[in-house]
Amino acid sequence: MSKKVKVFTLILAFMMIFTACSSSGGSTDGETPPGEPGGSKDKVTLKIGLPGSYEVTSKEIIDGFIASHPHINVEIQEAPWGDFTSKIATQIAGNTMPDVWFQENATILSYGQRGVAEDLSSYIEADLKADEYIDGLFSAKTPEGKIWGVPHGINPIALAYNQDVFEKAGVPVPTDDWTYDDLIEASKKLTIKEGDKTSQFGFIGSFSITNGWFPWIKQAGGSALDDTLTKSRFDDPKTAVGLQQLYDGLDQGYFADIDFLKANGGELEVFASGKAAMYFLQYSLQVNMNESFADTNWDVVKIPKGVDGKRYVPMVANTWLVSSRAKQESKDAAWEFLKYYLGDEVQDMIVKTGSTLPVKKSALDQLKDSTTKPLNKEAFTDGINEGGVTLDENATWSEWRILVQQVVNEIMVGNVSVEDGVKDIHTKVQDVLDSSK
Amino acid sequence: MQKQGYWGYIFTLPFVINVVVFLLFPIVFSTYISFTEWDLFNAPRWIGLDNWVRVLNKHEFWVSIRNVFMFALIFVPIQTIMAFVIAFMLNQAIRAKGLFRLFYFLPVVTPWIAGGVVWVWMFNYQYGVINWVLESIGLDPVKWIDSSNWLMVVSSIAIVQVWKGVGQSMIMILAGMQNVPKEVLEASQIDGANGWKQLTKVVFPMVTPMVYLVMILSTISAFQAFDVFLGLFGSITTGIPERNMVPNLLVYRDAFLLFKMGPASATAWLLFVIILGFTLFQKYFEKKWVHYD
Repeated sequence: MSKKVKVFTLILAFMMIFTACSSSGGSTDGETPPGEPGGSKDKVTLKIGLPGSYEVTSKEIIDGFIASHPHINVEIQEAPWGDFTSKIATQIAGNTMPDVWFQENATILSYGQRGVAEDLSSYIEADLKADEYIDGLFSAKTPEGKIWGVPHGINPIALAYNQDVFEKAGVPVPTDDWTYDDLIEASKKLTIKEGDKTSQFGFIGSFSITNGWFPWIKQAGGSALDDTLTKSRFDDPKTAVGLQQLYDGLDQGYFADIDFLKANGGELEVFASGKAAMYFLQYSLQVNMNESFADTNWDVVKIPKGVDGKRYVPMVANTWLVSSRAKQESKDAAWEFLKYYLGDEVQDMIVKTGSTLPVKKSALDQLKDSTTKPLNKEAFTDGINEGGVTLDENATWSEWRILVQQVVNEIMVGNVSVEDGVKDIHTKVQDVLDSSK
Repeated sequence: MQKQGYWGYIFTLPFVINVVVFLLFPIVFSTYISFTEWDLFNAPRWIGLDNWVRVLNKHEFWVSIRNVFMFALIFVPIQTIMAFVIAFMLNQAIRAKGLFRLFYFLPVVTPWIAGGVVWVWMFNYQYGVINWVLESIGLDPVKWIDSSNWLMVVSSIAIVQVWKGVGQSMIMILAGMQNVPKEVLEASQIDGANGWKQLTKVVFPMVTPMVYLVMILSTISAFQAFDVFLGLFGSITTGIPERNMVPNLLVYRDAFLLFKMGPASATAWLLFVIILGFTLFQKYFEKKWVHYD
């Protein structure tokens, strides 16, 4: 070998080392790693992506699936909830993503539009009885009828109230018949001012989407988008009315504002300690309430009715999707997993964790016998049945939601008037919707 | 001789690969994707100058440029002057010199996540310590980072950036000052120069290369400001108002939250052009005041 060839070989060896280091390996090749006991070439490998790891998806469920499906070789890929989005985006770009994983429903919708998610409508039609499930099963359905995933669970809101605060003030506790006007009136009565400072508020005036501006605009008869999810409805005067009511509460001081919440440990702490009498609480937060504030005397009712007498219960779903780029055998294994997930055994387990509501009706029925706070869990379950709505989620949700939030924040701290704010939002949101066509 | 030459190439190979993979390739690739529509998930589609035109036509891009320009204009002079003054003080024969140097350098090693939380609290309109001090001396509270006036917000954040960066700049200038020969200072003293004259006529001219370096680095870091804005505003998803945006926040949002790699790359390149322009501008005036002898 000449010297040149030697050097070339050496360079090649270096490059191979580097390439080997950068390759993440692993694919849906259906092979079991060598040396693994019981491995056979027929075994299908299923890669499951778990954001938030077993804190979000209980380990019991995964272990149960592994035990009951010996022909499927399960590989778990975990990442903290906050890092999962960037990890999965990189994996998708490099074509090394898991076969099945879950993320926020709105994100799933955009993955579907980009051709990453498998349309599950035919699988659902073949294997599930839709009437055994609540409508939330179809959170990831597009107006065109494609279903980009099935829910990991549903997380609706209800009106939580601090019983002791109501009793002390001699104000009757909320009921399912309340309207938003009742909520506002009660908030005024429950607010205690000491000089310039307010020591107790009636309600927590959150201005995030799920328990803030979205329910307020829905109850006033407005909406973010129209039914086809292609037109902005921020130009609807009713939408502005809802935002105005929320702003008035904050401005006139009977809703707790963001500074007060920050200074007093956050929404949950303010509600639990009785510094605010009412709160639009998401179902999953009951776990934190029971862990951190076991002594608080609280319960929930359905969120108040809107001006048209109807109820709108915003609900957030995290959704499992199957990668459209997986091999067919892995897709089938992924659907096996999702079927197992939507089956009685797992749905009952989900009820017990309390971190999310299951989508199967039979499992939901069990909540009636629950003895943990809040006792009136039907406020959540019946609420969904009566008026469960998603947050007008579509494929561009992440984009227009950020734009709306930017302006809503400005409105709520008084930097922009509601009138000017909604005009600005309407133009921006419609721009995003139009550019995605 | 020739054999030694080969080994040289081989030993530098890992670094060459590093530069090619992590610097040259991203530079070339980002130029390419700035001319494409790419969502990370599907193959890039060539769309010519569309991204560039779209970014240049966007109001928020110009708002972000205005903000970062003002941010640099406020931050760079304050940081440079403060770093110089502090370095001069710490170069004197004072007690507990080490302690003071540590004190000024501490923010440099404080992570933004912690520093940001503390500053957000200090700036809080109702409960912040800064407004508490103002109120206790009979002044009205000020909306710092919640203000509807973008200049107020940008100025407040520039102050935080000074807090974070002054330590590093101070160390650089201090290093320059310590190289000023004692004999020169003594000679100037014999000639009757007082403290101020010594500072302006002797010390400053001799450390101008360091001051210049600090200015260039501060300008670049100002235009690249990202952590300070994110640290103080929390997160993009919670809604940073458009009037408070800076280019790097737009790049981050477009690339990693919205998967619009094309516009993100075009914005990043435009930012590069602006930083280059400013650096060349500073370089042009270098000869007029920087002494290298």
